[in-house]
Amino acid sequence: MSTAPTQDTQRARTSRLVPAFGLAVALVGVFAPLLANDLPLVARVGDRWAFPAFADWLGRATAGPNDLSWKQWWSRLPAGSEDFAIMPPWPYGPAETNPALFRGGPSIAHPLGNDDTGRDVVARLVHGAGTAVRIGGASVAIAAFVGVLLGAVAGLRRGVADFTVQRLVEVFLCFPSLLFLLFATAFFGSSTVGIVVVMASVFWISFARVVRGELLSLCERDFVLVARGLGVSEWRILSRHLLPQVRSQVGVTAAFCMANAITTESTLSFLGLGPGATVASWGTMLRQGSELAPLGVWHLWLFPAVAVVAVIGTCHVLADGLRRSTPR
Amino acid sequence: MLRWLVLRILVMSLTLLGVTLVTFVVLDSAPVDRAEIEAMRGAQDNPFADPSSRDEAVWQLRVHYGMVDAATRQPVPLWRRYAAWLGSAARLRFAGPNEDHAAFWRRFADTVPVTAWLGGLALLVAFGLGLPLGAWCGMRVGTRGDRFFARATFVLAGVPEFLLAMLLVLALAGRRRIFPASGLRSDGAGEWSLLAQVADFAWHMVLPVTVMAILPAVLVVRFVRDSIARAVHQPFALSLRALGTEPHRLRRRLLRNALAPAATLAGSLLPMLVAGSIVVENMFSLDGVGHLAFTAVLRQDQAMVMAIVVLTSGATLVSLLLSDLLHRAVDPRVRLVK
Repeated sequence: MSTAPTQDTQRARTSRLVPAFGLAVALVGVFAPLLANDLPLVARVGDRWAFPAFADWLGRATAGPNDLSWKQWWSRLPAGSEDFAIMPPWPYGPAETNPALFRGGPSIAHPLGNDDTGRDVVARLVHGAGTAVRIGGASVAIAAFVGVLLGAVAGLRRGVADFTVQRLVEVFLCFPSLLFLLFATAFFGSSTVGIVVVMASVFWISFARVVRGELLSLCERDFVLVARGLGVSEWRILSRHLLPQVRSQVGVTAAFCMANAITTESTLSFLGLGPGATVASWGTMLRQGSELAPLGVWHLWLFPAVAVVAVIGTCHVLADGLRRSTPR
Repeated sequence: MLRWLVLRILVMSLTLLGVTLVTFVVLDSAPVDRAEIEAMRGAQDNPFADPSSRDEAVWQLRVHYGMVDAATRQPVPLWRRYAAWLGSAARLRFAGPNEDHAAFWRRFADTVPVTAWLGGLALLVAFGLGLPLGAWCGMRVGTRGDRFFARATFVLAGVPEFLLAMLLVLALAGRRRIFPASGLRSDGAGEWSLLAQVADFAWHMVLPVTVMAILPAVLVVRFVRDSIARAVHQPFALSLRALGTEPHRLRRRLLRNALAPAATLAGSLLPMLVAGSIVVENMFSLDGVGHLAFTAVLRQDQAMVMAIVVLTSGATLVSLLLSDLLHRAVDPRVRLVK
């Protein structure tokens, strides 16, 4: 038994590393336009101050000075000028093309290389993380809200409400979800909002099933009977006594759905039905990579593939860890 | 039993009705309809045509597809079109109002066998590998072998199907052409002997079936492993062991106990296989239902999408029912509970 303690510490170390990695990817994704961009964070042109990267983060475009792009203006700034700019830590944008770097392999300036139009792979990976986190996070959040609500109603009210929710769940369950996603993206014209709505409408059933199942057994317990007998309102029983007990199961489901959402988003992008050509996505990168792979270009498929597998694996490990730490 | 079956089938048809309603409404809300897409394609073929003739073409196509009433020139309301669709679907006529019925069926007849082969072989592989492996792991939970396969399934579950297909094609169908990257048969295979044709077909099936089988296989392994591991700790297993039952006899009891629920898994794997077939058929250029669905969606071919949805969700519902029946037949406890 002398090996047991070392094994335990090892397990503890990995269990801290995985959430840290997940958090890092999420933060990089959320703050992608501030981390890798061809727009300066802060720029001073004459007596005007501008924050183009922050504007980009909020989805607004700011025109560069003197009919130049911000990058051109920045690279031509004379030394000792009053004007200055602070660029993001990675000063390349996801859509910044550079024909001179056509399919360039990894180099010191571009450690992961450049793609067909000379776009920097690091910047595209960072913004791809943004797309994955945004679409996955939003769809899982909506799905969790709707699913927990409907599942709670079904588990608590039973009767007609339960029957209706169950039938709804069944309708979406026997539906091939990718087919549904396919024609719904055709409907929404492959926009980010559309994909989020459609994915949420597929994922809510897992939350509803989990919550309903847990509530059905929890409602049989004495504390619910006591609370009802004391005249506590149904809403209060639900929000104060029942939902806190299903928190970790909902967390497990959310982690699995997140993995699923990232898989689905990259699959759709790979099939050319993703959130549009202007949005950097790992699936789009992989499509380009797989088309060029027979020509011996390896860096365009390897790095996005590693990113996809690592992030999905992280979600799975998190879900598994959460499930195992839940007391039965 | 009969009461249960009748109720079950009633609820099933209700579900199928719900699926068709949801699909119909979603398809109908598309901002661009089929007539516009076809007219657009016509305009691309003939760029010098008068733009006003395009509107006329859209109009005629809408009348043709039954979206607009030819007499009153008013759009037909959604509920009436859905009712009309239901009426013809009940008579198994899934083609649109003015479409060639026989040609429509022929497209199905051409594609369904491809997907049936793919899905059937994938299910066979998934259960053929997953059952013994899951049982093996379930008997020795926590050992080195169990942990190895737990990790392996963990990794495999995290690789999206399209990525797996891409990697397999790169490794095995690229410069070293060990397996073909596309199609179902080699050129000129029609003149070979039957045996050679079968071998050729199997050779073409290896990569697509592998890709489709991985996720179901992972699920089967986990499911069987967990249910065997649970069965080991049940009172009946303990008493059998206490009575001095030989290990191989005990193992057989455990297997039968744990394998029954695995039958129910087959039904719920079907939607996953359909989703997989869309990806796999797209990547390996196979003309199956998944590919048909993909092109139908891009063309907003409402009649075809509806037919595919009815086919796949109907098949799922039927297989769920069959696996429930199987479960009841194998496991007497299920019958006694309700």
